[in-house]
Amino acid sequence: MPTLAAGLSIGAYVRSLVHRLAFLAAVLVVSIWAIGSRGYFWPAWAWLGLGVLVLLDFAAAWAWRRPPGAVRRVACVWAAVAVAAVILVFTWLLTWRLAGAHSFWPAWALLGLATAGSAYSLVALHDRVLVAYGRRALRARIDMLTRTRRQAVDAQAAELRRIERDLHDGAQARLVALTLQLGRAELRAAEQPEVRLLIQEAQQEAQHAIAELRDLARGIVPPLLADRGLVAAVESLAGRYGLGTAIDASSRRQLAPAVESAAYFVVAEALTNTVKHACAKHTWVRLHEGTRALLVEVGDDGRGGADEAGAGLAGLRARVEALDGHLHVESPPGGGTVVEASLPCGW
Amino acid sequence: MRVVIAEDLALLREGLVALLRENDIDVVAQVEDGPGLLRAIAGHEPDLAIVDVRLPPTFSDEGLQAAIEARRRQPALGVLVLSQYVETAYASELIGENTAGIGYLLKERVGDVRAFLDALQRVAAGGTVIDRQVVTQLLAPRGAAGDGLLRLTAREREVLELMAEGRSNTGIAESLVVTPGAVEKHVTNIFAKLDLAASHDDHRRVLAVLTYLSATRRTVED
Repeated sequence: MPTLAAGLSIGAYVRSLVHRLAFLAAVLVVSIWAIGSRGYFWPAWAWLGLGVLVLLDFAAAWAWRRPPGAVRRVACVWAAVAVAAVILVFTWLLTWRLAGAHSFWPAWALLGLATAGSAYSLVALHDRVLVAYGRRALRARIDMLTRTRRQAVDAQAAELRRIERDLHDGAQARLVALTLQLGRAELRAAEQPEVRLLIQEAQQEAQHAIAELRDLARGIVPPLLADRGLVAAVESLAGRYGLGTAIDASSRRQLAPAVESAAYFVVAEALTNTVKHACAKHTWVRLHEGTRALLVEVGDDGRGGADEAGAGLAGLRARVEALDGHLHVESPPGGGTVVEASLPCGW
Repeated sequence: MRVVIAEDLALLREGLVALLRENDIDVVAQVEDGPGLLRAIAGHEPDLAIVDVRLPPTFSDEGLQAAIEARRRQPALGVLVLSQYVETAYASELIGENTAGIGYLLKERVGDVRAFLDALQRVAAGGTVIDRQVVTQLLAPRGAAGDGLLRLTAREREVLELMAEGRSNTGIAESLVVTPGAVEKHVTNIFAKLDLAASHDDHRRVLAVLTYLSATRRTVED
């Protein structure tokens, strides 16, 4: 069988080669004859006939190689148009060259053929053209949405940092100044126990307000993250949990606030889960540069079985996906937990 | 006592200046940023610098950096760093090699005027004052390791936090509204539980606590 198949494919190749050679030879001979032999032109018609046959075969084979359906039908139409055009042009050339006819008639016929072919193509392919156009418009829209969403996320992160700073340096600092004034007042009211008591109560309220503002600000952006960046914040976080976390941070690049915050909260959430549930001996955090993305990996060798649908991980996923990133959690029961996030950075 | 103040918020800076002057402390210079602090220290040779962590122009940790640099230039200078939030990394950077004359407090501690003035005196005299929140943060939820600290009772933790502020037994007793005798018992228990030699020198007690805590952190982190 292989021999037969090889024989067939060689046969097909030879056939197509013969076609081509015959076609070229016909065109060549007809052209030379038409130009060289004045007045004696009937063999030119015979050769033209042969050439047209070969051309037809050629054009039909070409059209048949198109994908089936509307595209193939359109190709067939254009193949027919091409053959007709060749006949017209040759006929016109021969009659003009040998018989001295000067009419311009083939131009109109050619124009008609081209118009008919175009009209048919348009009708047969119009929905494809529309789909292609729609797809382009859709892609442009996706590009725009991606861009503007990223801008919105970046703007939001920058705004949150500004709020954190304002809370610390504005409201909180003023409250501190207030407690200081109250403290001074209290010193002066040493002789009036009732006034002292009132002042002390006011001071306690101010202290509570300060503590609340601090917790609020920390929830928005941990101050160390804002002040010293991701690596310092992650080191501090790991130190605070006392898990003996190994930190491998090869990336010290300046990151966009949105990326930095997302990476920090991935680490924070994963380490919190480790402390609460994992009973792990070893934990690690890796911060690496991938291709146009920051790769964050937090892992432990604890008991695994993390609930991916839980509020914590679901919240992280939303946060990461808002940056067009991906979050992957691997946590087989008894096999430890690895949380991986990739955060696009546009490096 | 001669004091330099580095604080960018005028309201707070003026309040501090007024408070110190009322209590016969000589404020020799007020500055708003790190370079200003270094110039003031070179010019006035004060006993103590009170420095805000966040200073212009970037409002990150210029104050801390300037304080560390000031100590490097003048090791005898007492430095009290005030911060809107507690960060143990800042505390340990500030302490560095030389614990004498170091203070790290939350800003709102200025409201407790007597304790604040007391802290100033101790830092200027070469003592160490660490905010109780640092201890709280060091004692915060931990993993499998670091159990030694979990054996402390809630009251003992409170005492430990106040010890870190460099307070005496009497000071701690006043703050917790208990008798000095009760405090002494707690302190003995704490030192026993943490396996430390008991000491009645306030400054050495702070150091013992910090050494213990940072040592625990290190073994945990290794």
